[in-house]
Amino acid sequence: MTQQAAQLWKDWRLHLLVFGIVMFTEIIGTHEIPIGAGVILLLPMLYAVIIGIALFFTPLVKQKQSIHAESLVFISVTLLIAKFGVQAGTALPQLIEAGWALVFQEIGNLGTILIALPLAILLGLKRESVGMTHSIGREANLALITDKYGLSSPEGRGVMAMYIFGTVFGSIFLGLASGFLATITPLHPYSFAMATGIGSGSMAAASLGPLVAAHPNMAETLTAFSGASNLLTSVTGLYASIFIGLPLTEKLYEIMTRDKSNKNKIGKKSKAV
Amino acid sequence: MLKNIQEWILLFVIIGAMIIIGNWIGYDIMPLQAIPGIITLALISLAGLIIHRLIPSKKIPSIAYIGLLAFILTIPGFPGSEQIVTWTSEVNLLAITTPILAYAGISIGRSWADFVKLGWKTIIVGMFVLVGTYLGSAIIAEITLRIQGVI
Repeated sequence: MTQQAAQLWKDWRLHLLVFGIVMFTEIIGTHEIPIGAGVILLLPMLYAVIIGIALFFTPLVKQKQSIHAESLVFISVTLLIAKFGVQAGTALPQLIEAGWALVFQEIGNLGTILIALPLAILLGLKRESVGMTHSIGREANLALITDKYGLSSPEGRGVMAMYIFGTVFGSIFLGLASGFLATITPLHPYSFAMATGIGSGSMAAASLGPLVAAHPNMAETLTAFSGASNLLTSVTGLYASIFIGLPLTEKLYEIMTRDKSNKNKIGKKSKAV
Repeated sequence: MLKNIQEWILLFVIIGAMIIIGNWIGYDIMPLQAIPGIITLALISLAGLIIHRLIPSKKIPSIAYIGLLAFILTIPGFPGSEQIVTWTSEVNLLAITTPILAYAGISIGRSWADFVKLGWKTIIVGMFVLVGTYLGSAIIAEITLRIQGVI
């Protein structure tokens, strides 16, 4: 990431483009689309990611800008994390009060296994499904699966597919889903704020944004909970995957495929990924 | 190391300027009012990046140091905490997220070709993975918060 950060600040083309996007999207501002009982919030950051992708396909953005942009995401996310942190310190009494919820919700990150793994098996995916559903498949998980199975294994292909999916679609999807879920489910905004720490800075930003925009009076507490949750996940996330997530996925995969075939499918290719 | 610090500072100046302008357009906070806050956030981030670089073990990501540092500095009673809180509250969270996702968009463009090659099954499973994680955590948090009587 920043190790090879060389002269990124000189890429004026990139910074001017992003500056243009920021001004343009902030002028458009926030809009709401009611869907049934729920509301989808369209925030400037959501237009920004879509415009950014679109610009990549114009001559304005060259390969170089796109490569530099990746390091810039990392650097700019640090400011967001600092913002999370300063809100969290202030809210220490509330954090202590809600401490157990913060700790326990980390286990909820394993919810993906219970929901997505059966679906993947139902759709006919084989060992790929282990790589795809053991976590949300960010960098750390990519490393974990590569280390354990190799990147060219079915599990490796699965985690890679999930990584690409999350990279391109994760923030857009969560940005839309977060506000919508918060309006159609009876769950408290605090609970959703704690859920935003899922192991990716940009996805956390995208899912917290609609919550803060919809409940400006709770903005500070929501940010504090989100910050604490992000901090917890960034420290514990990988270990949760190693010691709980991946073994659980393996076990569940074994149980769910046992009656279908007497486990001779390991390593067999599936064309779905 | 010094080269890196110089690079980081210049980048924070560029990104900080964008955030200040977005903060002004989108959330009506005058630039002068927000400058101390963004400088504070940038200094905390810079300190975290430096700490990460200085500590030989790379098991803990730099954002963990940044989050922890910002957290400790603003615990009520910590010297200067009120000042930091007052300053940084002038920088709207959403004004920070817009440039992040703009950079992300430009960076994502490169993965687009790989993305369209993913099968429809991957897309469906992918959405369930994200919703599963998000909703799973929210439900557990909700149950715990209710038991504790926080909400």
